[in-house]
Amino acid sequence: MPVAEIRNLTVRYGNFVALNNLSVDIPEGCVGLLGPNGAGKTTLIKTLLGFITPASGSARVLGMDIASKDRSIRQKLGLMPEQDCHIPGMTAVMFVAYAGELAGMPKEQALRRAHEVLEYCGLGEARYRNVETYSTGMRQRIKLAQALVHGPKLLLLDEPTNGLDPAGREEMLDLVRSISHGKGVNVLVSSHLLPDIERVCDHIVVVMGGQLREVGSIADLKRIEGHPVDIELREPNADFVEAVRRAGGAVLVDKAYQYRFQLPGTPDEVCRTLMKCARETGAQVRGFALAERSLEQAFLEAIR
Amino acid sequence: MSSTPIADLSYRHYDGKLEPPTFRWWSIAKMMMRLSIKKKGFWVWSSFSAYFYLILGAVFYFAETLSQQASGAAAMAGQAPDTNPVPLLFRNMIWKDQFLTAFNTSQLFLFIVALLIGAGSIAGDNRANALLVYLSKPCSKFDYLLGKWVGIFIPIWLVTLVPTLLFYGYCFLSYRQYGFVSQDPWLIVKLLAISPLPAAFHASAMVGISSFFNQARMAGATYAGIYFLTSFLTVAIGVMRVVMQQRRGASPLLDDLFYGSVDGMLQGLAKIILGTSGSPPFNAPSNVSMPPPPSPFYWVLFVGICLAFVALAWRRIRAVEVIG
Repeated sequence: MPVAEIRNLTVRYGNFVALNNLSVDIPEGCVGLLGPNGAGKTTLIKTLLGFITPASGSARVLGMDIASKDRSIRQKLGLMPEQDCHIPGMTAVMFVAYAGELAGMPKEQALRRAHEVLEYCGLGEARYRNVETYSTGMRQRIKLAQALVHGPKLLLLDEPTNGLDPAGREEMLDLVRSISHGKGVNVLVSSHLLPDIERVCDHIVVVMGGQLREVGSIADLKRIEGHPVDIELREPNADFVEAVRRAGGAVLVDKAYQYRFQLPGTPDEVCRTLMKCARETGAQVRGFALAERSLEQAFLEAIR
Repeated sequence: MSSTPIADLSYRHYDGKLEPPTFRWWSIAKMMMRLSIKKKGFWVWSSFSAYFYLILGAVFYFAETLSQQASGAAAMAGQAPDTNPVPLLFRNMIWKDQFLTAFNTSQLFLFIVALLIGAGSIAGDNRANALLVYLSKPCSKFDYLLGKWVGIFIPIWLVTLVPTLLFYGYCFLSYRQYGFVSQDPWLIVKLLAISPLPAAFHASAMVGISSFFNQARMAGATYAGIYFLTSFLTVAIGVMRVVMQQRRGASPLLDDLFYGSVDGMLQGLAKIILGTSGSPPFNAPSNVSMPPPPSPFYWVLFVGICLAFVALAWRRIRAVEVIG
């Protein structure tokens, strides 16, 4: 069951169309929402939260209509906004417990849960410090903690690695990956940083100009039509290349000892044919993999 | 020794109880109050706001005690005692005017308390983007605004109400024989009615003004500007009134404009509710008194200003900046 079903959604800011007749099902798991700046990613998130009233179309989040059940939806969602945000004058534990209370948790449980979530987000040592004294990385973590405190079914992360140094970025991505895999939390990560998305997500939705450009699993999107394979040999071997050609293969890439071939048949059949060619020509195979595009290539093709 | 923690620090999903998304404003109001009472200044200025009740209580106590001692001394000296059993201070005492004077003198302190707890109420949230936190939870704009309003209203109301009730209780127990209850049996109801007026006005003004700024000090300075400028005009009008009264008699227009400041309006409404023109403290003789302002007009003005401030805040509060 998709976590969000969006049908012909159009959102306008005055004359500017931010989302243009967008229809997409966002699957369960960890989904990356990709698009260049101004593509409509943040607008989509804010529309799903009920912050913006769409001009037309409809959307259901966790089975609830955004037009009539916005507060019930927000009770089951957690938002980690792109901008730095906190409530002034509070310690971390007070802030996160308060976020839990706002979501409807009883006071005692909110406080207990705030301690747990802060530990999990790596702020256990700093939980009694005023949030205003936190570094950028700590503020990113506390935004995640306040989004997680009430146990949301869907977590919306808007540029979660914004402003983080490499080590902080790694830790944040580890956290996001850990939450989204095997913990019962669906995650929608909005970002224009492809390596981040590739690292934590299983599926992506690409939007541009407010329209859907691509949707599917990352593995599917990276796959190249016709199942070409990449082979790495110990050293260049012209006989091997010739043998593959004789077997009906086409050489797509020939870079020293690295080759990309396209052969007819299923991946298993292609594998058997190539191994046979290597045996016949005495070529020593050091690497073998189904060829795939980088996510960047897939993304650029989608938005072209 | 193992370096791993004893506690399980991995993420565990929360499947506990979640209250339905109603009355979120009360959570916001409670947190506002918690943050307010943590401020030392709140307690200091709140205590100052009750100073006139302390003075009244002390003067009344000594006046009665000294009067009794004087009667006793006169009797022992064989002189004819004063036949009137009521001490001089309490003769012709208008009790409600004492409460009115205390109410008037507390206004500046209540204003300071309002600045302390209210100036940053929305401005601080604007600076820290806290609206995204509030509105991404099952809180509506109504919950947010009402929570902020109530969070300012209740502390200021209590700061007004508690000393008033304590002083009423003291007078009720000590001075019934001097007409404290019989003079105006409904005084307690009237006092309960005037006590929320400053709180309502300051809460509305603070949420309205605070919503326009990102800095609490800017919001505070703006409200202080409005407060002192209108107070200055009222003082100027008061001087003009006295001068004109000496030359040509009272001017009804100046009488009405006298209540045109924040303090003036609150004092005027208190006079309307108490049904008095006021008199100097401690029953001092005077022929100067300002009649209450025209009742319907000032009520409409009060409610209108409060609603206007709240409406301004309502327009300013939004989860997303929409550029049309």
